[in-house]
Amino acid sequence: METLVLFALLGLGSGAVIAGIALGVVLSWRGSGTINLAAGATVMVAGYVFWALRTGFFGFALQTVPAIVLTLLFMALYAVVVELVAVRPLRSASPLAKLVASLGVLLLTQALVLLIFGSAPRNSPSVLTGDVVSVFGVAVPEAQFILAGIVVALAGGLAALYRFTRFGLATRAASESERSAALAGLSPNVISLGNSVLGHVATGFVGVLAASIVGLSATTLPLLIIPALAAALFARFTSFGVACAVSLLIGISESLLYQASNESWFPTQNGSAIPGVQQVVEFLLIVIALWWRGSSLPLRGDLVERSLPMVPDQDRLAARVAPVAIACAVALVVLPSDFRQAVATGLVATVLCLSFVVIMGYVGQLSVVQLALAGVAGFVLSHLEAAYGIGFPLAPILAIAAATVLGVLIGASALRVRGVTLVVVTLAAAIAIEQFIFANPDWGGGQTGAPVESPKLFGLNLGADASFRGLDGSLPSPVFGLLALVVTVVLYLFVANLRRGDLGRRMLAVRSNERAAAAAGVNVRAVKIQGFAIASFLASIAGVMYAYDFRTVSANSYGTMSALSLVASVYVLGVTLVQGGVLAGFGAAGAVIPLILQTWVLPESRVSIYMQLIIGAGLLIQLRFCPDGLLVASATKRERRARASRAGKALTAVGAKPQGGV
Amino acid sequence: MPSPVLSARGISVRYGGVQALSGVDIEVRPGQIVGLIGPNGAGKTTFIDAVTGFARCTGSVEVAGRDIGRMRPHARVQAGLGRTWQAVELFDALTVAENLAVAARRPALWTTIRELLTNAEATRPPVGHALEALGIEGLAEAMPGELSEGQRKLVGMARAFVGDPKVVLLDEPAAGLDTDESAELGKHLRRLGDQGTPMLLIDHDINLVFATCDHVVVLEFGQVIATGRPADVRRDPRVISAYLGSAASDDIKVGEES
Ligand SMILES: Nc1ncnc2c1ncn2[C@@H]1O[C@H](COP(=O)(O)OP(=O)(O)OP(=O)(O)O)[C@@H](O)[C@H]1O
Ligand SMILES: [Mg+2]
Repeated sequence: METLVLFALLGLGSGAVIAGIALGVVLSWRGSGTINLAAGATVMVAGYVFWALRTGFFGFALQTVPAIVLTLLFMALYAVVVELVAVRPLRSASPLAKLVASLGVLLLTQALVLLIFGSAPRNSPSVLTGDVVSVFGVAVPEAQFILAGIVVALAGGLAALYRFTRFGLATRAASESERSAALAGLSPNVISLGNSVLGHVATGFVGVLAASIVGLSATTLPLLIIPALAAALFARFTSFGVACAVSLLIGISESLLYQASNESWFPTQNGSAIPGVQQVVEFLLIVIALWWRGSSLPLRGDLVERSLPMVPDQDRLAARVAPVAIACAVALVVLPSDFRQAVATGLVATVLCLSFVVIMGYVGQLSVVQLALAGVAGFVLSHLEAAYGIGFPLAPILAIAAATVLGVLIGASALRVRGVTLVVVTLAAAIAIEQFIFANPDWGGGQTGAPVESPKLFGLNLGADASFRGLDGSLPSPVFGLLALVVTVVLYLFVANLRRGDLGRRMLAVRSNERAAAAAGVNVRAVKIQGFAIASFLASIAGVMYAYDFRTVSANSYGTMSALSLVASVYVLGVTLVQGGVLAGFGAAGAVIPLILQTWVLPESRVSIYMQLIIGAGLLIQLRFCPDGLLVASATKRERRARASRAGKALTAVGAKPQGGV
Repeated sequence: MPSPVLSARGISVRYGGVQALSGVDIEVRPGQIVGLIGPNGAGKTTFIDAVTGFARCTGSVEVAGRDIGRMRPHARVQAGLGRTWQAVELFDALTVAENLAVAARRPALWTTIRELLTNAEATRPPVGHALEALGIEGLAEAMPGELSEGQRKLVGMARAFVGDPKVVLLDEPAAGLDTDESAELGKHLRRLGDQGTPMLLIDHDINLVFATCDHVVVLEFGQVIATGRPADVRRDPRVISAYLGSAASDDIKVGEES
């Protein structure tokens, strides 16, 4: 009993951090209608800045209080910059664009922190007292209580601010309709900026106080956004009190779960507790929140003027694909071995990126679980061989089917909600899969990775170790690359064809306007599920191909931050266009563009961080100046010209008729 | 009298504290165009939302004798309801023809799968007849963003008619059109009605409504205050005081939508 109390109270610290982030999420939503994926990164930024000021990283060390004050000033400045770069330019943009912008901020700030401060976790000097108090005879650090008290006070203060001040009233009015906020006498820009500064300073403050308790790490802190999103969902992105309470409860249950994992009854594997239970619980919490609160989630009355990226027609496909395919085929034979490997990997990544084109470009939902699904397919493949001796082609078929089913189940849990909330479920699912499946000593590949046999058909080796070598006589064999090329081209044509057909039209109808789609007889849920099934299917195929490409499956390749980078790079290039998927694929980790960079430009150890930096910055620039995506913008221009010349005469003719010329 | 294609009985809708509709009965019979008028906020749009399943309501809704009151919106559409939106709401990523194609066909799963594996373009459903019926066949290849407000309204209507619905509910199709365009629209509607599609027509242009409809229902504060033939409704003192105001005259246009 005493240990239970102790551990419950020890959870208050991390619960407070989650609460700080959840408050930031609620403030972002209320201020600008953004689901702010970067709210977790705010804690990281504040924590590192404070650490640097306290420890003399910048050449001078400050006392605690001045360091806190300076950090909070910095956070206000940071909020203003984020607001001007990633929020204000998108005020009238679609919810998906706003969401993606916060993803850009997350990628960019994490990359910057990693570059400046390195990736090793730091010990932040503690701010709060190290004293302990005795509760029911158990000694508990006072800091836990102080922290929890501070977030509760913050939540109460914010609630009061919203209830009693003109700023709060205007914000509430603004989230119903921007027009009514203007009537309240405050411009939406001011409201959004005010909430943003409030959010960053409040979250940052909690981050500074808690950094010594939860640990300062640029890789783990940003992901605290997931439990915070769960809490925010329960709060319907509105109530500070609920967000705070649920966060503290999550912190407490986390701590209890940790304690329980040392008990004898806790499920174990190879003598140690099974990992990832906490992440699975968080995922389930989010699913429950969506089912319970889903249909009542507030829809903001923002004026959406700029819609989602245009979707150019996919015409003259063969003429476009052939040259690229031939170039790839040649490259797969003549290039030196590391470049051959990179081309093959680029082809596989292309398939993965095509899945983002389907779910983001066509259905208009942000899903980040695909890379994890690819990993699942790879591990299933490896296990079917290792444990049951099932090989090619049955094993990949089963692996693809299993991962696709898993993907559909995850997608189905977000069906009740409108808007872009799928991202919350898929993010939580990705982390849960990473921690529960990949980190499992039996199911995952451990440090070395799980081996995969090369595919063999009728005794013929189709894998990367086939006897047919590249021009320089070394591995990998072009055979697997050519096989991947064929698969990629087929799937590319499939996704392009999807756009032109009935299902594609229905997806785009759902993307533009779910109500109007339903009124046109479209079963919105069915279309979303079909979209999710196709995306999961593509991702699973990519997963199997990855496994054969590397001949091993290792958990490191399927991390959630890599998935976020990949999503972002598809969006930058053109999420509605299959060509965007191809370019993003060749820019993915292990593919051609990073290889070029690391061969001639950048230190190898930091290529992935620099890529993340480029992608995050590129995303923010693209959203600002070229919202359709780089490739889409040019394709749309071309298409408009073509259509105008085709239909120009007819248009003017009708425009002259009485009923047309309004 | 033939039995009604659309029969809505006792429709009540509450939005939080607002009783938007209370016990409204409306029937549309074959060949009829029924007008639904009333001041701003009377509950006209809410009635369409309730019938098409976008607003939670009590009461019963039948289409051609079939109870559709418990279906989800898309299923009601498939059962024969068509509707337009006050704010038009076209699919902005699709051309006009594609907008109509979405509504024109509800393929089975198997057709969908087959289409994914063959040239999808080839199986596009025909939509020309609906465009022609509204005189906008020249717009087929245009994007919604390139159209004028009046053209958008016509496309929205064509989309509601293209799937051969049993009855169509039109929410203010003439808002934003001038008098001539309104009259032209009235002719299109009359012709579509004579060709066999019954309609419920909401509009603030009462001249259009009285000239086009066979039967008119007047709503105020969510309740039916008058119903009957246009000529009778127009003379009803309650309608004149509630809707037209005391200075009622034949050619005023009330409560133009912003
Ligand atoms: N989604 C909603 N939530 C809350 N109240 C609503 C909602 N939609 C409509 N109302 C309210 O219900 C009442 C009826 O609105 P409705 O839109 O049906 O009127 P209307 O007759 O179509 O008016 P108009 O001529 O302006 O289109 C109004 O008081 C309106 O404020
Ligand atoms: Mg209305």
